[in-house]
Amino acid sequence: MSAGALDSIVLDHVSRWFGNVVAVNDVSFTVGPGVTGLLGPNGAGKTTVLSILAGLLRPSSGRATVEGRSTWRDPELYRRLGLVPEREAVPAYLTGEQFVLLRARLEGLDPGTARTAAQRALETVELADVGGRATGTYSKGMRQRAKLAAALVHDPRVLLLDEPFNGLDPRQRIHMIGLLRRMAAEGRTILFSSHILEEVERLAERILVIYAGRLAAAGDFREIRRLMTDRPHTVIVRSTDDRRLAGSLIVDPAILGTELVDGHLRVRAADYGTLARLLPRAARDAAVSLHEVRPIDESLESVFAYLVQPGAGR
Amino acid sequence: MIATIAAAAARALLGRRRTVLIVLFAAVPVLVALLARDRGPNATETAAQLIDLLVIRAVLPITALVLGTAALGSELEDGTAIFLLTSPVARWRIVAAKLVVAAGGSALIAGGSALLAGLVVAVDDPSRGFVAAAVVGVIVGAVVYSALFLAASIVTSRALILGLIYTLVWEGTLASLFAGTRLFSVRQYVLSITDAIGGGSAHPFGDTLDGATAVVLAAVVLGLGLAVAIDRLASWEIGPAD
Repeated sequence: MSAGALDSIVLDHVSRWFGNVVAVNDVSFTVGPGVTGLLGPNGAGKTTVLSILAGLLRPSSGRATVEGRSTWRDPELYRRLGLVPEREAVPAYLTGEQFVLLRARLEGLDPGTARTAAQRALETVELADVGGRATGTYSKGMRQRAKLAAALVHDPRVLLLDEPFNGLDPRQRIHMIGLLRRMAAEGRTILFSSHILEEVERLAERILVIYAGRLAAAGDFREIRRLMTDRPHTVIVRSTDDRRLAGSLIVDPAILGTELVDGHLRVRAADYGTLARLLPRAARDAAVSLHEVRPIDESLESVFAYLVQPGAGR
Repeated sequence: MIATIAAAAARALLGRRRTVLIVLFAAVPVLVALLARDRGPNATETAAQLIDLLVIRAVLPITALVLGTAALGSELEDGTAIFLLTSPVARWRIVAAKLVVAAGGSALIAGGSALLAGLVVAVDDPSRGFVAAAVVGVIVGAVVYSALFLAASIVTSRALILGLIYTLVWEGTLASLFAGTRLFSVRQYVLSITDAIGGGSAHPFGDTLDGATAVVLAAVVLGLGLAVAIDRLASWEIGPAD
């Protein structure tokens, strides 16, 4: 991960703490053109990372740059950058049109150009027909799109989006995905955060996994997906004779452990594929019938926790 | 650019309920003046008492406090300032635009209150001259107070309380106990400037600062307030994520 000329976003050993709480811990990554997903559970530090990149938070240590400019205390940065914050940052008394037009004027566009740009941005996010309504009357999805229109009205090279799919219905999600893909295809750098794996999977070419303030993994999506699938799995098994089955399973080195708890058997295996092959064979060898096989610890939390273990994700 | 931001800020201010309340509050001195109209033989003294007690002590600082902290502080609080702060506008322009609206609004409301209340009781030329001087003083006060409270609203989310303590405790109680505090009291600048303009002989406010000193101090406080506001806005940080 060297900072090449193509990398429009560079985070160099950035940490940020609030009092005694470390929100972001020594995170370094670079992001180039295309769509990159910032994946992590709630509270992992995604918003802090995006706020630092958007110049709204000072890094406690390290350096953040967008298109070669340090992001802290540099308003000129916003000529190249658009931010869609997670917070409701739309003044309720303005109509969608007025809001996006105001943003265009703040970006320094002259009145005529600003009007055209605002109209185009509203059409891009499919809000043109309700542009005359006060944003206070909008649904969450509409406000989300109004924020997006306001962020792209000046056609920025870099777009940061914090949980852009929150509040969108399935149709709007698909539209947003198409829109972001199209903008990336035009050579822009798009970094969006999400706590939902499927969203990231559908949109991002590259992902950054952040957990408990640390960068857990970075790279091609398929590679990280494989890491997630190949990690140790625990399943709960109920059979005609759990004890015999355990004895038959444990002889295989791919089985890390077996445990009899609450009338069922817990089996921990090095990876899912091996377990799927081993379990029926072991049952047949031990002459045991399987009643139930059920995976546990499938929460995203545990996936992230696994990825941040030393040696797992890098 | 300043005009664009100021227009949006004015719009936001006009849409707030508290702005209406402030205008109603500013009407109180005028109503009292109507009641007090034919009392007392000395018009200038009556006008001075009325304007000092109700406008300079109450309407002016409260109006500037409410408008000064609302102009930018409430946006920073509710997050709508983000769309303003993530635009390539020099931070001094943002502060200037917000000050224009806060100070302009306060000057209009408090100045109007002083003018109308004063004119009701001022029946002769010297007292009318005093009212004109008081309006100028109030306008200067509106600008300085607004800059001070605008800066406070960027520095802390408790600007409203802080501003109240400043006007009530520092300017109200302490100023009457310790003469030294008058050097750092916007209220004293207003009184002194009014006295200085009000014309040689008539000094209804009595023991005030020298007019020139008051103008210089007011300018210094204004400049400091703006410098702090611009610098703190440039370093403004969004709160930690929920």
